[in-house]
Parts: sequence; structure tokens; C-alpha cells
Amino acid sequence: MQLPELQRALRSALLGTPEAQLLSCIEADAISAEERLCIYRNTIGATLAKALQLNFPAIEKLVGADFFAECAAAYVQLEPPRSAYLNDFGAGFPAFLAAEARTARLPYLADVARLEWAVSRALVAERPPAPDLTALARVGAEQLPQLCFTADPSVSLLALETPADAIWQAVLASDQATLAALDPLSPCVHLLIERLGAGLSVRRLAPAAWSFAQALCAGNPLGAALAKHAELDVQGQLALHLSEGRLCAWRLGTDAAAAGAR
Amino acid sequence: MGPAQPPPEHSRVLGPIPAQAGIGLRFAHHRTVIDTQPAVAWFEVHTENYFGGGTSLDCLEQIRSHYPISLHGVGLSLGSAGALDPRHLARIRALARRIEPALISEHLSFSAIEGIVLPDLLPLPMTEEALVIVSEHVLQVQEILGRQILVENPSSYLRYTHSVIPEWEFLASLVERTGCALLCDVNNIYVSARNHGWDADTYLAALPVSAVREIHIAGHSERVLSAGRRILIDDHGSEVCEAVWALYRTAIARFGLVPTLIEWDNNIPAFEVLEAQAARAGGYLAELSLHAAA
Repeated sequence: MQLPELQRALRSALLGTPEAQLLSCIEADAISAEERLCIYRNTIGATLAKALQLNFPAIEKLVGADFFAECAAAYVQLEPPRSAYLNDFGAGFPAFLAAEARTARLPYLADVARLEWAVSRALVAERPPAPDLTALARVGAEQLPQLCFTADPSVSLLALETPADAIWQAVLASDQATLAALDPLSPCVHLLIERLGAGLSVRRLAPAAWSFAQALCAGNPLGAALAKHAELDVQGQLALHLSEGRLCAWRLGTDAAAAGAR
Repeated sequence: MGPAQPPPEHSRVLGPIPAQAGIGLRFAHHRTVIDTQPAVAWFEVHTENYFGGGTSLDCLEQIRSHYPISLHGVGLSLGSAGALDPRHLARIRALARRIEPALISEHLSFSAIEGIVLPDLLPLPMTEEALVIVSEHVLQVQEILGRQILVENPSSYLRYTHSVIPEWEFLASLVERTGCALLCDVNNIYVSARNHGWDADTYLAALPVSAVREIHIAGHSERVLSAGRRILIDDHGSEVCEAVWALYRTAIARFGLVPTLIEWDNNIPAFEVLEAQAARAGGYLAELSLHAAA
């Protein structure tokens, strides 16, 4: 068997069942080819389950280790990793939990998973250089509507239908009293998740402030973001985002880009 | 493919790895190392653990200012039949520029198959076809990083019926074709030799002495299958066993004073346990050094 074909066969065998042709290529003695493959299959399964567990610790606590292991194994079958950087493994796990029959009836599970994914992104995000605020101050008033910003890579803005942040905190703190008192059907929460110094910040924003932050962080021109938030102290909000290091770069978008964003 | 000259050494490398015992550094011991600055000659880290920009990278940069560092990759998949992942390679290059490691190493194995990654060190068939592919990939990596890399012999639990080149000869040919160096993992030789009925001394004797720039030693375990059948598993979860210490002494008698690393990845013990293992390896290196001087 040539190398590409052998490696494809091995991938199928390690994610599922080996084909006879592959088994005939593996030396067997008292220990069969299937038993030998099984050693690799177990290591791969355990490594990927561990990677998911590190990215979704509250989900594991919520569903229990055994069911989490089942979910991890099923998810690996659906979306095996496409990068050897396993911190990046699990982007689709929240959607998997939302679609999986046994977890879909607990909508807060997928929300907690979305929050945990944002948390893991914040913890491993690159640190970009600070923006050039002196040059920003020189931008003329007539050009301000065309200003577009790039968010710090640690920033995520999530609008979740369940109080996932409170559930997440209580689960990780093993705070049963708070968990018991939570109403999983309470109104939607608007969250800002970001790195804060060497740590992490997860906090709720008012809907309008969240929506403005989201428009800015998505790279929309300031004019477009302003138009939708006439009620906000936009200047104050913008100054806050800049001073708190949430926006790491800026550029003057073209009119076309500004119009497109509207 | 003809013999290649080793690429020039990286000009900005700080602090070469001394021919002493180092420790494989894992997250659990970052704080201990930063706070207590233990008398360890050097550290090695898993390259992929520092690809992001989080606090672990901040810790490594602090540690880097006091100790020589080696970057040991587990995910580049030198043996993939397809192309190497350019994003992975770019991340290694970016980290190497930042950390300026004294050594960069990877494994003789594969894990990426047409875009899907199976995170383990999967064994290659020992064929000319595989040797050509691995050689091309090693040359590509050395070109992109602008420096020589070390390639580590794997531990394995299966062999292919169409393998025709002994693993030790495969590695020697790889050195000849690419100018790469070798990371001789003595525990892996022991595990594979036991699992496949090879002679560990023959393996050591076949590796080109001048190419061996680093040695790994670690613990392994024995898995008992049904009907009393046994296989050794390279799990890095315990102390180095006496048989591997003995093989290590044979290895340094052949390769000379080579930087030696204690690896421990599962059931990670207190830092003092790792220091004691490193001290034992360091003792053997010191003995050899005195013997050579005499």
C-alpha cells in the first residue's frame, strides 16, 4: 500500500472500523493488528476528550464525566480536529450540544458552551500592539464616521438566551445554592468576554451598549454604529473601549465600505 | 536526493543547551520555576503549548530569560504523505523568533492526514517512499526556520508488513539526506525494542554519533492484555526504570556528553521528583566527563 492510501486507511481505522486491507498490512503475532490499532485509537480519543474538557470544564461538571466522554467521542466523529493546535479544538462543540437530542432539551448547556468557548479564546488570544492614539486624535471630524476599528483578539460579545454566565460561575465554584436559585428562563444576557491583564473578564452590558460595542468590534464604520445608537453617550463609550484596550487598531474605511456596513 | 550540508546555525540563538540534564517543563511547574529559579541546566517545552498569546507564553518568556530553552514539537507531522500544514509551520517559526530556542525538534511520525489531525505519533512504514517524503519535509522545515532541526525516534506499537528498512537505518539515511540532527529517545528505543523484538544495542550502534544532539529519557508502563500478553506503553507517567537507565549509560558511552532531558507528561509529580531524576542523569554525565578527562 502506498503512503497516501495507507494513511487514509489508518485515519478511517482510528476514527472508526479498520478495513481488511489495512489489517493485512500490520504485523501481528500474539497481539493482533486490531489490538495494536486500539492502543493508538485510545490515545487519540483520550487526548481529544482532554482537549475538550480543558475548553469546556463547566459543561463537563454539568453533564458529568461519563456523559461528557460520550459527547466528546460523538463530536470527534463529526468534527475531528483540523489543526494540531488543540486549544483550537471544539469551535463546533456548542452547536453540537444544541443539536444533540439528549442535550438540546437543556438550552442553557449550549449557551454555557458558547461562553466557555469565548473564555478559552480570550485566554489564548495573541496580544496585539497598542493602537496609535496620537494619530487617532488627528483624524478630522469630517472623517470620524469612516473610522473602523479592529477588536482585540481576546474580545467576544455574546447575546445568550439563558443566564449562562451565572450558571457557568456557579458550576465552576460548585455553588449549589446559587444554581438552585437560578431561573434558566430569565431574560437574554448580553455579555462581554475579554482578557483583563493576566486574567479574564466576563460581564454583562446593557443591550444598547452591547450592540454598539458589537458594531465597533465587528469593524463597522463609526458612522454606521452611531446611527443606530443615538440614545448612547457614544463619545464616552468609544473613549471607554479605547482606554480599556478593547480596540487594538483603527483605519479610515472607504465610503463604499461605510455604506456597505450600513 | 543527494547529501545536504547542514544549514547554518541560527545567528541569534542565546544560551546553547549545555551537555547536562534538563527537565521537560509543563504548565504545572511554571510558577515553581519562575518563583524559585531552581538549579536546572535547561528546559524543554512542547512547542504547540505556546502557540497562543496567553499567560503560558508570558511565563515561558520569563523562564527564557534565565534558562536555555528547547522547543519540542509534537504536531508538525513530518511523515504526512501530503503537504505540511503551512499555518502550523508559520506558528513554529513565529514562536522560534520570539523564544530563540537553542534546539528545535520534531518526531519521525505522522498525525495529519489530508487535513484531519489525529493527535498521536503514528508510525510510518519504513520504506524508500516514506524516507523521500520525510526528507523533503525536514528540508522544507529547515529552510523555513533557517536552522537545523532534530528528529526524534518514535516509540511504536505496530509495524507494517511492507517495511523494508530498519528504523535505525531510516534515521541514519534521513541525517545523510537532510543534514538534520537526531534526538535519541532512549526510552522509545527500549519500548519499541521490547514491543517488536529488536535489539536496543543494535539500534544505538547504528545511529550516527555526530548527529545525536540530545537524548530523552522517560518512564513507560506495561499494559497487560488478555491471556497474559504484554505490551509496553510510552506514557511518560513514572520514573525512568532501571533497564532504561542502563541503556542510557550505554547511549552516552557511545554518543558522549549529550544534553539529556527528563520527560514526564502524565501524573506529573512534584518538581523535586523531576529534579532528582535530572540529578541522576547529570551524575552519569559527570562520571563520563571525569572518565574522559582521566
